Amino acid sequence: MKSSKPYPYPPLARRLFGVWFRHTRVYTKNIFSNGLPPFLEPLLFLAGVGLGLGKYITQSMEGLTYIEFLGTGLIMTAAMFTASFECTFGTFIRMEFEKVYDGMLAAPITANNLIIGEIIWAGTKGFFFSFAVLCVLTCFGIITLPRGLLAPFVGFFTGMMFSVMALLVTSFVRTINHFNFYFSGFISPMFFFSGVVFPVSNLPAYVRPFAEVIPLTHSVRLTRAVCAGQYNWFLLLDMLYIIVFILVIGFFAVNRLKKRLVY
Amino acid sequence: MSPVAITVKNTSKCFGKVKAVTNLSFEVEADNCFGFLGPNGAGKTTMMKMLYGKCTIDNTDGASIDVFGYNPVKDELAIKYLSGVVPQENNLDEELDVISNLMVYSRFYALPRKAATSRIDYLLGFMELSDKRSSRIRELSGGMQRRLVIARALMNNPKLLILDEPTTGLDPQVRHLIWDKLRQLKRHGTTILLTTHYMEEAFALCDTILIMDKGAGILRGSPAELLTQNIEKHVLEITGSHSLETTADGAMLQKLRIDRTQETTRVYCDDDQLLRSLTGRLEGAHYFLRQSNLEDVFLKATGRALNEKQ
Repeated sequence: MKSSKPYPYPPLARRLFGVWFRHTRVYTKNIFSNGLPPFLEPLLFLAGVGLGLGKYITQSMEGLTYIEFLGTGLIMTAAMFTASFECTFGTFIRMEFEKVYDGMLAAPITANNLIIGEIIWAGTKGFFFSFAVLCVLTCFGIITLPRGLLAPFVGFFTGMMFSVMALLVTSFVRTINHFNFYFSGFISPMFFFSGVVFPVSNLPAYVRPFAEVIPLTHSVRLTRAVCAGQYNWFLLLDMLYIIVFILVIGFFAVNRLKKRLVY
Repeated sequence: MSPVAITVKNTSKCFGKVKAVTNLSFEVEADNCFGFLGPNGAGKTTMMKMLYGKCTIDNTDGASIDVFGYNPVKDELAIKYLSGVVPQENNLDEELDVISNLMVYSRFYALPRKAATSRIDYLLGFMELSDKRSSRIRELSGGMQRRLVIARALMNNPKLLILDEPTTGLDPQVRHLIWDKLRQLKRHGTTILLTTHYMEEAFALCDTILIMDKGAGILRGSPAELLTQNIEKHVLEITGSHSLETTADGAMLQKLRIDRTQETTRVYCDDDQLLRSLTGRLEGAHYFLRQSNLEDVFLKATGRALNEKQ
């Protein structure tokens, strides 16, 4: 029973869309509890700074008021945190506890398709979470439109960047508790040393190279440029960093995680 | 004879040092129901997973798998597109309701929305779940969840349906319903591959049975063949410790095959008259004379002792 022509299984784009559609469907199922916090969190932060902390910080940072400086940074940390959670705890639960991936892999989807779909989904969440922060900042007049509208696209790539990192970590993890090390050892320091709460240029000279190595620094720099409308050629290097990071770490993440799904 | 749907040759699979499948070969005819029987850890699930690319295949000499002319290593997607899989564990999306579970799954086959909706309506009706369409997964009983997983596997009208212990843990009503549906599918040209621990299930559904043990195929044939070729026709079960040697004389003992466990003695023989005459001598003992069945074949073939994986 040899069949000469290949069967019309869905093309790559449709397969990736299938994975993306599943995640979107699950996420939007509880639209209230999933969709509201991304708007509330930046509100809380801005309230804390605006009502309290802000009074003590009168110096401008990289030509921005402190609330502008911090606000534009928060657009990226929102994307970072959501993508990191999605592809550590989220992926691990889908893989080991709920066995959702086993169900999906019985359909015409390869393990590679599934993982790449996961990365695109994390990018989408990065986009949405950045957009939520942007909305809040716009409402308070901290950012003026339409310049800031490009920021969620940076959020998309930031989401992808942190998802490949998270997936790589997930491929090593045997128990869900191990993620605690990743968050307190890698993600939390990122918050402080990548120019979100204070400029990287204020770091001691020997720490500065470190800040250039970690991913969030580049996202934050791009977002500030986008929001302030101040572009320079060095931003191309930041973009290059992000793309190379996604491709290289993504390559290892896909190959390692695949072995957990097809063994 | 129907054309061959699946050919497996000299296929092996090791997980580290554990040999799950060793040099297994078999063929499955199209439009047939093929059943794997075997103790836990015999390699049944692993074998089925290798067919649709969920497990890799060890690169040994002469190993090959062909499913409808496709090779699982190269044509994973084509095989998956043609097959439906019911895994051992229900892996429904618990965060979604019944209809969304199926809707999401229809996207994996790129079914147009309209076609998907009507297919889902049909499948819910077919598995008798129509009134559960908006229920949450957690509200469904085990039997309903199982039927939903089967409905999901049927989404793309598969030519091959792979079921790993489809009715384990289900009540007789649901089990019989599932059997009926599987027979119906087979009649309409679906090739069915299943594993089971229920001998009556294998007997009721399968055209061919492969008994596996420790990763290898040890007996193969239709249920009737397995019975006629591998086991005596009748068996006398005696409960309690009973010394048969004192009741049966030497000439008689020669014609009997005796299988003892701690509490039960089973006496196998082709001649039921002989067994009947033996029962006359069992004063006061509890006994039961019956035809031998697939379970007797299974236990004879795979042994009574538990292995390290059970």
